[in-house]
Amino acid sequence: MIGKGGRWLVLLYVMFLTVLFLMCSTDLIIREPEREIHQIAVIIENARSDNYSNFRKGMDQAAKEFNVDVHFITLYDKSDAEQQMELMDREQQDGADALIVVPVDEERVMGKAMAVPVIYLQPRVMENPGAGTIVIDYEQMGKLLANEMQNNIPADCPVWILTDSAGQSGSDRLFLKGADAVFSQEGRTMFVTAWEPESMLRTAMGALGAGEKVVLLAENPEILTEVSNILVENPNAMEHVCGIYGRGNTVPILNNLDSGRISGVCVTDDFSIGYLSVRAAVQVLERADSIPVTADIYYIEKENLREPDYEKLLFPIE
Amino acid sequence: MRARMKLRLTMLLIACACLALTSCQNVGKEEEKTSLRIGISLYRGDDTFITNLCNLLEEKAKEYEREYGIKVTLDIQDAKGSQNTQNSQVERFISLNCDVLCINLVDRMDASVIIDRAMTAGVPVVFFNRQPVEEDMNRWDQLYYVGVDAKESAVLQGEMVVDFYKKHPEAIDRNGDGMVSYVMLEGETSHQDSLIRTEWSVQTLKDGGVPVEKITGGIANWERSQGSALMEQWLLEYPDTIELVISNNDDMALGAIDALERAHVTGVNVVGIDGTTQGLEALANGSLLGTVSANKEVYAGAIVALAASCALGEAPPAKYPLMDAKYYWASQEILANNIEENQ
Repeated sequence: MIGKGGRWLVLLYVMFLTVLFLMCSTDLIIREPEREIHQIAVIIENARSDNYSNFRKGMDQAAKEFNVDVHFITLYDKSDAEQQMELMDREQQDGADALIVVPVDEERVMGKAMAVPVIYLQPRVMENPGAGTIVIDYEQMGKLLANEMQNNIPADCPVWILTDSAGQSGSDRLFLKGADAVFSQEGRTMFVTAWEPESMLRTAMGALGAGEKVVLLAENPEILTEVSNILVENPNAMEHVCGIYGRGNTVPILNNLDSGRISGVCVTDDFSIGYLSVRAAVQVLERADSIPVTADIYYIEKENLREPDYEKLLFPIE
Repeated sequence: MRARMKLRLTMLLIACACLALTSCQNVGKEEEKTSLRIGISLYRGDDTFITNLCNLLEEKAKEYEREYGIKVTLDIQDAKGSQNTQNSQVERFISLNCDVLCINLVDRMDASVIIDRAMTAGVPVVFFNRQPVEEDMNRWDQLYYVGVDAKESAVLQGEMVVDFYKKHPEAIDRNGDGMVSYVMLEGETSHQDSLIRTEWSVQTLKDGGVPVEKITGGIANWERSQGSALMEQWLLEYPDTIELVISNNDDMALGAIDALERAHVTGVNVVGIDGTTQGLEALANGSLLGTVSANKEVYAGAIVALAASCALGEAPPAKYPLMDAKYYWASQEILANNIEENQ
């Protein structure tokens, strides 16, 4: 038999266990501090995310380090500014704390008023830079590539510029503007053609006389990949080509550069750009100063593709 | 006696109160979904077939979004061949409140950790491309698998060679000794597709009346570079002997083609499986005799539709009928080079 004192002891013990249970298993007594996870939506200019793989790796790395939830959104249709602005609104309504946007049309998209901070990956230095600034100067990239091409191709070889028939993005336009400035200054002949494999190979290149050569410049990575793949299967057309140039660092482009199908490309350090854009968004959210960054631009040929510095840049390890 | 009763009653009431308090925390979470979040983990992001499929998943998710007006967010992660990394990714997906997981397993024998976590969190899982063992699949009714039937792939690959041999025996049996000497490039040892493809492609050749002789074979882990290295070695060991390369996938077949080109060897027929973009390019330029291609549009569409229906708590989509209420097999077709056209 338990005495009166014993009963009280048992009751106290049960109460102690109850309090212990409430403390451990519920938020009623001790509320666990909630770690705030920032929601960041990334809206790119493209309908496909293939060209953004290193950029994405950099973002994933930053997401882990800064405890951020990053989600990636592509457009339904390439280069549709209206759609990009709708998606910006949608993400804001859905609770994104900040947006990272690669604008399709920098004038329209960057002019849009938003309630959440927006980090724009700007294709040039702008007056209204948004909450944070990462500048990829595509005009400068076009100039750098054109200067390198000038050194490598014969003076009398005209440049055949291949534009995107599906629509030109802001970065495409600025890239060509830079290249055009250099070629015009040097007085080099240029042709501009919308990229259509059939018409280019059969009609345009077929019209070239024996021994006549051109150098091809693709305005974006998709065209560069396609033209380099198609020409290798068309030796008759390839006879008229003294070089293929462009921009981008996707795996097919690098493979084609390595095999000599592509003569040279301009690239940026996409991993760092991805990482820094997320860091800039976090800094803005935490009310710290975001330091503007301008991405470095590199020119790469087959010969320097395997240099350790470029390997790190092109094939980053997370 | 009365006091003891009171004590018991008090204890019972306290226990009931505790239960009520803990269960109260989960009330009010049910609401109609206007957006879906799908966590996708890939066994290796550098696998060509998986990359192709992943691009299509993004497209199909956008199509779904447009068709049904439900926002679909994809979180795509690369497990880089590590099951531990994949387990951590699943943990993160669950903590980020993903509605459904689409998992391309690293180790098909080791799905238990993922299934445990998913079951605890009540998050359905659609496995794809790498099939978990049956015991794991039977653990929960919210586990699904989308893939291709490995035996069908192998039989189609075999039939493609049989057909070609019947039409042009001299193009395969190049030395005219009445035997087709082949080498076999195999995928991973632990992958069920690898074992089945190896067995049934050769069996179909034999059943189809093609006299075959195996020179050698090796495991190239689905990789182009490893396929290339093995082929290079075999070309040195068995010069002028190899007439046919049977590969468990297109990437390894392309590796063999790379080695053949480097060694300036012509006339060796190479067949693959998967119908990757690079494989189709090789088919178009004539370096690959043929491949077996899954209808990747349907494959990706099935993954997205099944994942979405699971997340919304709806019945599986009728467009993609499930076998045993768990498995969806994507259809496949032979894509072969027409020798008459090439000549």
